[in-house]
Amino acid sequence: MKIGTMGKGVALFAASTLALAACTSDAGDSDDAMSESPSTEATTEAATGSNDDTIFISVGEDQWDGYNDLTPDTYSTYNSVINERVRQTFVYFDENSGIQVNEEFGNVELISEDPMVVEYTIADDAVWSDGEPIKYEDVLLTWAAQSLMVDDAAMFNHVSGVDYGDRVPEGPQGEPGGKTFTVEYTNPYPDYMLTTVVDFPAHIAAEQGGISLEEMVTAIQAGDTDTLAPVAEFWNTGWLSPTAGELPDPALALSSGPYTYGSWEAGQSLTLVPNENYWGTPPATGNLTFRFAAADTHVQALQNGDLNVIEPQATVDTLDQLEAIGESVTVGTYDTLVWEHLDFNFAEGAAFADSLELREAFAMCVPRQLIVDNLISPIAPEAEVMNARERLPFQEGYEELVSAAYDGRYDEVDIDGAAAKIAESGAETPVQVRLGYNTPNPRRTDVAALIKDSCDQAGFEIVDNGSSEFFSADLGAGDFDVAMFAWSGSGQITSGQNIYGTERPQNYGMYSNETVDAGWDELTATLDPEAQMEQLVVIEGELWDSLFGIPLFAHPGVAAWDSTIQNVIPNPSQSGIVWNAEEWVR
Amino acid sequence: MTRYILRRLAISFGVLFVGSFLLYIMVINSGDPLEDLRQSTANNRDVLIDGRIETMGLDLPWYERYWGWLTGVAGCFYGACDLGTDRSGTDVLSMLQQSASATLRLVTIATFAAIIIGIIVGILTAIRQYSGFDYVVTFLTFLFFSLPVFWAAVLLKEYGAIRYNDWIADPQISVIQAVIAGVVLGFILQGIMGGHIKRRLFTGGATAVFVIVALLYFTYVGWWRSPALGPVIVILVSAAFAVGLTALITGLGNKRVLYSTLTTVGVGAILYFALQPILAEPNWWLLLGLLVSAVVVGLIVGYFWGGYSRGQAMAMSAVTAVFMAAMTFTDHLVYAWGGFLELKPRPISTIGASTPNFQGDFWETTLDWGTQLLLPSILLTLISVATYSRYTRSSMLETMNQDYVRTARSKGLSERTVITKHAFRNALIPITTIIALDFAALIGGAVITETVFGWKGMGAMFKEGLEHVDPNPVMAFFLVTGTAAVIMNLVADLAYASLDPRIRR
Repeated sequence: MKIGTMGKGVALFAASTLALAACTSDAGDSDDAMSESPSTEATTEAATGSNDDTIFISVGEDQWDGYNDLTPDTYSTYNSVINERVRQTFVYFDENSGIQVNEEFGNVELISEDPMVVEYTIADDAVWSDGEPIKYEDVLLTWAAQSLMVDDAAMFNHVSGVDYGDRVPEGPQGEPGGKTFTVEYTNPYPDYMLTTVVDFPAHIAAEQGGISLEEMVTAIQAGDTDTLAPVAEFWNTGWLSPTAGELPDPALALSSGPYTYGSWEAGQSLTLVPNENYWGTPPATGNLTFRFAAADTHVQALQNGDLNVIEPQATVDTLDQLEAIGESVTVGTYDTLVWEHLDFNFAEGAAFADSLELREAFAMCVPRQLIVDNLISPIAPEAEVMNARERLPFQEGYEELVSAAYDGRYDEVDIDGAAAKIAESGAETPVQVRLGYNTPNPRRTDVAALIKDSCDQAGFEIVDNGSSEFFSADLGAGDFDVAMFAWSGSGQITSGQNIYGTERPQNYGMYSNETVDAGWDELTATLDPEAQMEQLVVIEGELWDSLFGIPLFAHPGVAAWDSTIQNVIPNPSQSGIVWNAEEWVR
Repeated sequence: MTRYILRRLAISFGVLFVGSFLLYIMVINSGDPLEDLRQSTANNRDVLIDGRIETMGLDLPWYERYWGWLTGVAGCFYGACDLGTDRSGTDVLSMLQQSASATLRLVTIATFAAIIIGIIVGILTAIRQYSGFDYVVTFLTFLFFSLPVFWAAVLLKEYGAIRYNDWIADPQISVIQAVIAGVVLGFILQGIMGGHIKRRLFTGGATAVFVIVALLYFTYVGWWRSPALGPVIVILVSAAFAVGLTALITGLGNKRVLYSTLTTVGVGAILYFALQPILAEPNWWLLLGLLVSAVVVGLIVGYFWGGYSRGQAMAMSAVTAVFMAAMTFTDHLVYAWGGFLELKPRPISTIGASTPNFQGDFWETTLDWGTQLLLPSILLTLISVATYSRYTRSSMLETMNQDYVRTARSKGLSERTVITKHAFRNALIPITTIIALDFAALIGGAVITETVFGWKGMGAMFKEGLEHVDPNPVMAFFLVTGTAAVIMNLVADLAYASLDPRIRR
């Protein structure tokens, strides 16, 4: 058994395999398969004006949780980015995070300032996806879900509690079946544009609760919670999807937007398809598939075409990788609503509590421009130091606010000036400063190091107190001298009151200033944008003078998409890049 | 024996109970479940926090939370399983079912591949101890074993998916590429085959020429985009397998076994044509039925040919039949590749367990699953092949140095008989234990692999639960992996006892 017989056998076998393997499959057959595959669904979509293309996007690995994203459990951006394409409301955030009226859905008009009355008009042809018009009853149920109480507890498990009911005790006024209604606020409420005035289809809730729509209207107007109990029960549970992969019944989870739910593969993806009863412009692309994939897989998936639109983590590495892909991918950087800041602790015993000079010294030595240049500019070349708290650099009114409220006194690092201020304060040097922030976060650790390099020269001794317990323990307990973290803006006008007002829940540093408190009271009491800006100038000016803290920069965001897709525009608001997905087209 | 098993089970139950208690306490103390809400500036922040406290029972003392979980689990014994919900209200039991099925799909193939490849490589390196081949394999196994999964996954995606997909759009192999591939493969194969220099040159040269010609020829006829095997190749390869298997296990001298396996191939060839219409659009149950009937056919053929070595003939005919069935299956899959490329122009994905809304026939859908599984399976296999091959190698070497092996050699048995009959079987005993325990571990999923390839398996469920300081998903993970570990331990002990008669005494 040398090479002889065995070798011959193997050679013969190899040669024949080679010769025969060369036969290829019949191309004609695969063509047949192609002509069968487009689904019947696709052809009907074409009739409504959408193509049958699919665009893949991912906003992260978190799954979609359900149709009702207004319970505290299901209230997440992962849910709302999808549901916002299915259910429209009166307003949306544009690419500068400005609030715009959604004219396809209807109109919002402030018709009286005192008393404050807002008039809403729903578009005449606006209907739910089962053909039922969107009307006053839906609005009434939306109000009921945010106002009714049973035994001092909210009857509906709503994320906003009964805030709307407190502000609008009478509820929206209109005719059953009507398209126009008014909402009267007891006190002026500047954020009225953000009030949820319509969310779910009331006729479904009534039907599932076993009462007629008329009975429901009467019960809500009379405050008859007994009759409404089954409706509330359905509202709280019937629109949730506790089993991943099982889409809600399309007869219950109605759409009022360009898309509706098509399919859901547990743990994998959810596909939106056009809502055939949508009265407005049909979506340009027939299938919008959200894939649930971890952020660090996005870049390669984009390159391979598994995803077409991504918003990866904004790091220098990601940006380099994206740019290395070449022209097939378009990269967009933008500023997000998340902004970084340093806050002083005013509580008893903290280093900066009683000494304005020390706070000024600290503000003088913090190298804000260097921080931005070293850590943010590589990602967002246009990035700038932020000099206001209530407006972000890309927002309307930022320039106006900064030029009126801040004179540029902390633009340059001034070590000598800081040292002089410390001497003036009479504090013993080195002044120990505990700089607290949440770890692990390499960028914040770098910022802390830059601050230490600079401020230690002036006579401070910066102690890097970064800890994984920062949010759960240190911040609430006031165990810091300077806290470094980020606020994520929500687009509200009045939310800052909770941060800067005396004894407000998010005022972790125990800051208290009469001018600021008065400014907020004025601001929240007026509906005139110019008067609001006047008060903001007062507040920001005082926050700079008394040094509540130091704003640093707005976090940059990175988005990237397949260059063949048109109309993709990054958006800093919570909806993210998906905000205009119905306009995307290849 | 029954008493032993019962006692073991009772002890394991206690261990699981204590373990669950400890894990529960550790998880709920591992962080702040409200952390993400504390940074929010939303007006409704307090409602959100209250809602989460209510859902997760954060206002209850730890023993009440644990008791609540425990009573829910106790329900499993009388059919009212309640593993609770996660923090967003999703039912954990349904999550568990989905995660477990995803994990099983992901890890089963990789584990089997790792076991088979690992054992073969281990035996080969043991036989060719201290050869160039042995050193290279040792180096590679250690390299793979210490591979950072994240980094390897990125490389695999770059070359296995992105570059491959670019290439398959217009598959071209230049002469230089073909020559390099041929020479490398020829070099590897001569290393495995070993022998004196003339034989090595012949093996290496022949392989290189074959590979070069094959690659160029395939490219020329456009085989990469519309490949096919065809009946002749299926039959020829199956026949070669039948001869090879017989040569390896019983030797070609045993004509009864040889004829038996070859007859099986013959019957398989007839069935190949007869079943064509059914296999055009089958389903998994049909395929399973056909596989079972293939085994039965093999057993029958072996029974009638067998004579004095009936047992061996039956077993080997059955194995041949399974191989032939697998070849037929592959034939159909390969044939469907052309149509699959039309549906999915970039066939290998970097994320996901399947292409969303993929619409193809049975074979195209199977190809879709296969292409999605390919990269994670390669990764998992590479990592675990190292363990198996090293264990097999050392166990095999130990056995080869035993007295009875020397005795077998000295009484004139052929090297093939010595290795397959005397050494290999005994070398397998310690490996059984490792395999059983590995099966328990595989249920736990592969956290990193799942994350980087976008699968939602057990590992992802565990990781997310821990990140959210949400005990219910973590405990569900513990229940499954803990139970699997306990059972597999028991199975390993029992298997050990049945394989090694000395243990039973």
